[in-house]
Amino acid sequence: MLVPPLPPQAGVVLVLLAGALLSTGGGCGGSGSGGGSSASDSVLIYAQPEDPKTLDPINTDIAEAVHVLTNVFDTLVTYDDETTEIVPALAESWEHSEDGLTWTFRLRPGVTFHDGTPLTSEAVKVSLERLTQEKHPLVFDTARPYRSAYAMIDQIETPDESTVVLKLKAPSAILLANLAMFPASIVSPTALTKLGEKSAEHPVGTGAFKFVEWSRDEKLVTAAFDEHWRGRPKIDQLIFVPVRENATRVQRLSRGEIHLADSLTPVELDSLAKRSELAVQEAVGMNVAYLAMQTEKPPLDKLDVRRAIYMAIDKRALVKLGYAGHAQPAVSMVPPAMWGYSDAFEVPPYDPPAAKALLEQAARQHGFSLPLKLRLSVMNQARPYLPQPQAIQGYLKEALAQIGVEVSIDARDVNQHFEHLMAGRHELGLAGWFSDNSDPDNFLYSLLDSDNISEAGNNLSRYRSERFHELMLAGQKELDTAKRLELYREAQALVAQDLPVVPLVHTSQRAAHVKRLQGFTLHPTGLVRLHQAHFAEAGAP
Amino acid sequence: MIGYLVRRVLHALVTILVAVALVFIAVRAIPGNPLLARFGQHPDADEIARLRAENGWDRPVLVQLGQFLWQVGTTGDLGRSLARTNVNVTDELRKRIPATVELTLAALVLAIPLGIAAGIVAAVWRNRWPDRLGMFLALAGVSVPIFFLAICLREVVTFLPTSQRLPLTMSLEPLTGLLLVDSLLRGRPDVFVAAVRHLLLPAVVLATIPMSVVARITRSSLVDMLASDFIRTARAKGASLWRVVLRHALPTAAVPITNIAGLQIGLLLSGAVLTETVFDWPGLGRYLASAIIGDRDYVAIQACAIVIAVLFASLNLVLDLVYVWLDPRIRLQ
Repeated sequence: MLVPPLPPQAGVVLVLLAGALLSTGGGCGGSGSGGGSSASDSVLIYAQPEDPKTLDPINTDIAEAVHVLTNVFDTLVTYDDETTEIVPALAESWEHSEDGLTWTFRLRPGVTFHDGTPLTSEAVKVSLERLTQEKHPLVFDTARPYRSAYAMIDQIETPDESTVVLKLKAPSAILLANLAMFPASIVSPTALTKLGEKSAEHPVGTGAFKFVEWSRDEKLVTAAFDEHWRGRPKIDQLIFVPVRENATRVQRLSRGEIHLADSLTPVELDSLAKRSELAVQEAVGMNVAYLAMQTEKPPLDKLDVRRAIYMAIDKRALVKLGYAGHAQPAVSMVPPAMWGYSDAFEVPPYDPPAAKALLEQAARQHGFSLPLKLRLSVMNQARPYLPQPQAIQGYLKEALAQIGVEVSIDARDVNQHFEHLMAGRHELGLAGWFSDNSDPDNFLYSLLDSDNISEAGNNLSRYRSERFHELMLAGQKELDTAKRLELYREAQALVAQDLPVVPLVHTSQRAAHVKRLQGFTLHPTGLVRLHQAHFAEAGAP
Repeated sequence: MIGYLVRRVLHALVTILVAVALVFIAVRAIPGNPLLARFGQHPDADEIARLRAENGWDRPVLVQLGQFLWQVGTTGDLGRSLARTNVNVTDELRKRIPATVELTLAALVLAIPLGIAAGIVAAVWRNRWPDRLGMFLALAGVSVPIFFLAICLREVVTFLPTSQRLPLTMSLEPLTGLLLVDSLLRGRPDVFVAAVRHLLLPAVVLATIPMSVVARITRSSLVDMLASDFIRTARAKGASLWRVVLRHALPTAAVPITNIAGLQIGLLLSGAVLTETVFDWPGLGRYLASAIIGDRDYVAIQACAIVIAVLFASLNLVLDLVYVWLDPRIRLQ
């Protein structure tokens, strides 16, 4: 068959064309990024890895939803802008009876919800009863992860429009801290009644930003609430966008298409920090990553064995390896940034040779053979307190091999991982906790008390200590902070003595944003409150 | 002909049923469940047990399957999401399917004509540089993983948006859900331009594999065809090369090309899962990925399975009919 001849210059033309195309690409790119932010200066765009599933405060426990809820709703009490001190919010003042069973809150006058409904004691009652009552007509989804945090509330009374009285079943030192948490957000009762189950997609609160629209997986738009009791926010709109891939969040931030991003890895944040137009904030985190040792499973029921494991782990090496230096070695389960933290006790030193000797001695004494074979359960996905679980598990495997423990890795999806640990089916387990309410009780009682040994309990080591339990119960009832502090000091010392866990590190919280964004500081609790956020004038440093 | 059609429809129905049943059972067999994802590190044992019972997961899986199929068959309701409070999955899918359809169509519009053109050029200048270049690119197109290509393109092509369907500050009340169509219907050229810009990168990425496959199959069918007697005769009678290729060879080669192109459309749906995730495209693929990976949302997963199975099966059905139209020999069998 005859083939038409190829014009000799065709190849050259093709190459030239391709070259021209690529160079226009580069040129446009330059002008594109030079154009800077795509949105106007009064719009703040916050990229998160996921979209919230629901905006009903009682039905969620994921950070992406909490970041929205904190800006749309207020609570009776809240944390200071920079510390974890509890300060007034919708409640202007409060007092409790001598026996600690009756708490009276006086509401701030003149507060209205985004829909114009005035804030009354009845609204508070409805909001809290949605958490305390088993069945409530205005609960549209019964999955309420934080319900148990409000179980101490027996009755809610409203003697007048601006007074709320909480009657407790027993005195509670953590009531205020729990009322500052997002599930206790005060919701407009009018909106709940009117919207019914649609209220999960249309939150109406008293917060600094009012909800405008939400197209799932695309964007969630909120706008400044002019009548907010702390004054109107400085930006006009706050938009949340789900950007799943870390690399995309990094890229869009560099291009100025988004202004604030979180959940990035230490390495990504380090590289962003070097860019002149971006800033990376770092704050101490209210979290702990730890190694749970299942104390019901021999030979982990022997203190010597747990002690040897403890001594084999170099927490400083972990900080470098798994956190690129952005964490601090832990001695207690309670983070140092939290009140109640104590390190006034001895912990076993990092000393692999001594650990090896100790394990050999324990093997002889308790009749098990070396190398000791143990399974280490780990999660596949990163958590805020464990941004690189693979690096950590690799380190632990090597470190323990040095003292004669042969570790096999048992990896699962994160939710199944915790189910596995809660059921006590593990031997060693990598775990962590992020503060709910900034109270030491939340770390010590939740993670180590015998009350929380169950299929759904977070005492993953299955640690049982009568004294510890007494201290926890006393701490929950004691309203005098100084006395509580003593109780928690003793409890932490007890844990350091019994070693049911190896506290590994406390991770720093970090977030990246365009440098022009000001008035936003990372809060120790991890709350992202953007009431004061604004953009610096163009040209300003 | 009618008998043929009825047989094909029955085949399609059985395929859909089997696919849905397999997904339904498989998703329940893998460890983990949606309630674990809902409660995270704050589980409430009583509530979880109650919700399990409420959702009927304590019943045998075949009973659950039967109930589900009955519910879908009688009411068309795919159920309520387990991960997203009070959201009907049918509504969710209704919003997402147009996004995926738009992306898939855009990829097809790029892939099929360009693939056929490249195949023709390669076949005509067989073993010359256009052939070698074209087939090298085709090989590269099939071999480079979609997500890798996406990440590379995103870095290089900095003048096009890399996320979502529209800029955040822009929105449009949907009519059909296809932004390109809606923007024209509503007389919003600005939205149209923005939508095209957002569509370009993901469509190019998604188009690479089908384009390459179509190019290769076009080339090989045409090469065979161009060597055959009737082509030589046509050329001998003085028909020009392009006339011969376009009027005689290509229509005869259309059956294998249609066959492969059709299969590629089906595969585009699976490619969409990756492409949509990388480009934050709010379509079916991304919805399915987050339902499987994050939420284990049984209801959402099985609903997606139904939609995809129906799309696949109807596509195959249409293709079967297209063959009949293209090739009379099939009609006679």
